[in-house]
Amino acid sequence: MKSYDVIVIGGGLQGSSCAYQLSKRGHKVAIIEQNDVASGTASHTDGYVGFSEKAPGIDALQGWHSVKLYHELQHELSYEIEFEPTGFMYVCETEREFAAASDYAKKIRDQGFDMTVIDPKEMCELEPNLAPDLVGGILNKSDGLANPYRVVFAFVNEAKRNGADVYTHTTVTDIKRNAKGEVEGVVTDRGDFLAPKVVNACGVWAPFIGKMVGLEIPIEPRKGMLLITEKAEPVTQSIEVLEFGYWLAKFFADFKRPVSELVEKHNVCLNIETTMSGNTVVGGCRLFKGYDIKSEYEIMQAIAERAIRFYPMLKDMHCIRSFGGVRPFCLDHLPIVSGVDEVPGFYIAAGHEGDGVALAPITGLLIAQIISGEETPFDASPLAWKRFEGVDLATLAEHP
Amino acid sequence: MSLNYDDDMFVCRCEEVTVGEVRQAISDGAIDVVGVKRRTRAGMGLCQGRTCERLVQQILAQELGKSPAEVGSSSVRPPVRPITFGALAGGDF
Repeated sequence: MKSYDVIVIGGGLQGSSCAYQLSKRGHKVAIIEQNDVASGTASHTDGYVGFSEKAPGIDALQGWHSVKLYHELQHELSYEIEFEPTGFMYVCETEREFAAASDYAKKIRDQGFDMTVIDPKEMCELEPNLAPDLVGGILNKSDGLANPYRVVFAFVNEAKRNGADVYTHTTVTDIKRNAKGEVEGVVTDRGDFLAPKVVNACGVWAPFIGKMVGLEIPIEPRKGMLLITEKAEPVTQSIEVLEFGYWLAKFFADFKRPVSELVEKHNVCLNIETTMSGNTVVGGCRLFKGYDIKSEYEIMQAIAERAIRFYPMLKDMHCIRSFGGVRPFCLDHLPIVSGVDEVPGFYIAAGHEGDGVALAPITGLLIAQIISGEETPFDASPLAWKRFEGVDLATLAEHP
Repeated sequence: MSLNYDDDMFVCRCEEVTVGEVRQAISDGAIDVVGVKRRTRAGMGLCQGRTCERLVQQILAQELGKSPAEVGSSSVRPPVRPITFGALAGGDF
């Protein structure tokens, strides 16, 4: 029977990052993945890397650390991750949004991070293809883009170089524990693997692994959809652009915009990025539809409508592909990154919703540091599983 | 069927992916068409794999000793053909 120091379940962004950081520290690591690596959420999403989609506080702090790590990783990893620190802009359609955005920018600045308020003239200088009638925006220059599935391949390749084993198309069916309840390994459809430590990095599927050790992990799949343009002249100037309504809609379910019924119905907000390949990725939406990732025509229609509102040039550009994916929405909007006291040897690195690409580096680092007994770069206790102790999860589950 | 394609032959013309790159993706762990697609971009271009998918299947089948059916195909996703955002937004599809 194969034996390891740490088994990471899940070969996505979080799992591969954990495996990389652990293997770098000399731990003997195995990744166990039920499909191919990068086959779940990592290959059904856009590539935004930054802290600007986060709430001020721990959320923005971990995002900031993660962006900083991306700057180092692009040189450290031998596989090209297509990281571009090109900046990020929120655009506002109404005065109300602009006021909320300016307030948000101030809170982020008060935390010591970069976020500037810009007027429509500056916006159009930076983003000449933007509609000229917008009210204003906010900008930071440290965020950027990466290619999410290439980030996974890069972490996996590097972990393998450090001696990690990767078992794909292998499904974990149970967690082995001793009489004291301590983790001893995993049971899979391809045999048992031993390890005193197991990391559950299964994203939207994390609750299934949690149940194996009696934990109710409050993560639900939240669907997003994206459209891909043909390769053409860049729509955005390599900058990630979102409408601020996206942020407001993420945190305030009752927030309403002056939009069409179709856009409203499917909770569609613009996010757009022209990638290194020359295609532009256009989204998006946040919907609770179970694990369904099929492309829905009405949502495609709504995304196209909303995108043209902000980037009129798209009207004549071709859409060559659509796709859907599910993001691991954690009921209190923060990922879970910690050990679990009641199940010694069990760790969780999941629940990043739409921030999985951005946060993968810091999550992997935190898990590796926690497991290795190292000091973390900031107090990570707000991300710990312990925060759910004594909390009635049903009261957290208030979402549309 | 015996395939003796040179490594520098193009498989996916849209994304300029060669036989050698497909073989590399397979040795990196790809076992199906989607796995090759993610590792090489073969099938991500304007034609969405309509030209190259059969060839990718053949290379996979040969390298892995499987049947073309076993190595699968890319997920079917709309639009079937490129469509302008204008037509899409207008519900004209």
